[in-house]
Amino acid sequence: MTQENTHERDLGLDEDLMAYVDGRLPEDKMAEIEARLARDPEARAATASWRHHDNLIRQMAKDADDLPVNMQIAALERELAAKLKARKRRAFVMGPALGRIAASVLIFTAGWGAHGLFGSASQLRGAEYPQFVTATMTGHQLIQQASMQQAEFQSDEMEAALDWMSAQMQQKIDSPKLERLGYTVETARLLSTSEGPLAVFHYRNEQGDQVSVSVSPHAPDQSDYKLRVVRMDSDSMAYWTDAGLDYSIIGPVDVGTITTLAAAVRE
Amino acid sequence: MTLKAEVTQHTASLRRYALVLTRDATAADDLVQETLVKAIDKADTWQPGTSLRPWLFRIMHNTHISDLRRTKTRSDAAPDLPEPVVPDHQHTQLELKQVLEALDQLPEAQRKPIILIALREMSYAEAARALDVPLGTFMSRLGRGREALRQIVSGISKGKLSVLKRKGNI
Repeated sequence: MTQENTHERDLGLDEDLMAYVDGRLPEDKMAEIEARLARDPEARAATASWRHHDNLIRQMAKDADDLPVNMQIAALERELAAKLKARKRRAFVMGPALGRIAASVLIFTAGWGAHGLFGSASQLRGAEYPQFVTATMTGHQLIQQASMQQAEFQSDEMEAALDWMSAQMQQKIDSPKLERLGYTVETARLLSTSEGPLAVFHYRNEQGDQVSVSVSPHAPDQSDYKLRVVRMDSDSMAYWTDAGLDYSIIGPVDVGTITTLAAAVRE
Repeated sequence: MTLKAEVTQHTASLRRYALVLTRDATAADDLVQETLVKAIDKADTWQPGTSLRPWLFRIMHNTHISDLRRTKTRSDAAPDLPEPVVPDHQHTQLELKQVLEALDQLPEAQRKPIILIALREMSYAEAARALDVPLGTFMSRLGRGREALRQIVSGISKGKLSVLKRKGNI
């Protein structure tokens, strides 16, 4: 290989020069690269050519914007958007946490009184269970109520998530704080349900157990819910009202653990 | 932005990319349509929460590869391809023609990264995902491709210059 070829190869593999040409060079490196280009005519010529060729290609590509509207493409766009929207909703409903919860709630809704209750079973038997609990848990009910996901936040966005959720609910929302019990928050979602906004936090511990916590404004015409803990097949659930907010928590743990988790959220 | 608006925006990008790939408005729209039909069929493979653009470009990339394999069009049809859309300035027109000729001489693996990045609509990482290659491979192909393009264009320019000189026009 000649020295010239070696030099050519090096220029083509220089990611700083690439980033410079593409306008993606960090500010703090700009002066360094510009100084290098000032004393390296070959690199200067190469970057000028790369940029010029890009401009020519982009210029040609932009001619596509002047092409006549294609009605078939427009129809396909609409069809694709509808499919993707359905996909988005289905992915949410059948997401890892809610999918499991939806399965659990079938047992929950069908056999409320049949399962052993932790706490005041006699009060619950035959009673209407709270709307917010159902909205949290059932995928099918979310659809029936035309529930829509307004936003999803990742674990590193919790501060922004809480601020935004508080603004949406017009009430201060605090983190469920399950970290001290070995759970790590994975995502937080805000849903818009027919009953109002509903925040859902998804947690997971080292064993892979997923726990979901929901928070929603308490309906002013309803009385507050005292803490209740319910066992449903392999899952347990707790729900209660506190300071104008309805809470529920569900996970594949025993009733003692779900009570501990609920206590952590309530603190 | 609604999903519909997002799809419309990305379709416009697909059309630009397709026009450079095919050099023909009808062929470009055919490629876009074929891509959208496949995207509709594969809608369940899109992961909500991830960017739609690389997913769509990836489908177009695979569709274009299939088309090339099926028809071997690019080299066979090249003589029949119409002239590129003509910019106002004649010199620019000549330069564009040279660049497109040079692009045609590059392997597909280098040609597409150059075009995708020239469009300035995707990050390096997104473009790499669109072409289904690791980022390092993508950057290497982009860099090598750009350098090869420069050398070819330079050779074409020198060749045309020497022809003009031989004819006594300069």
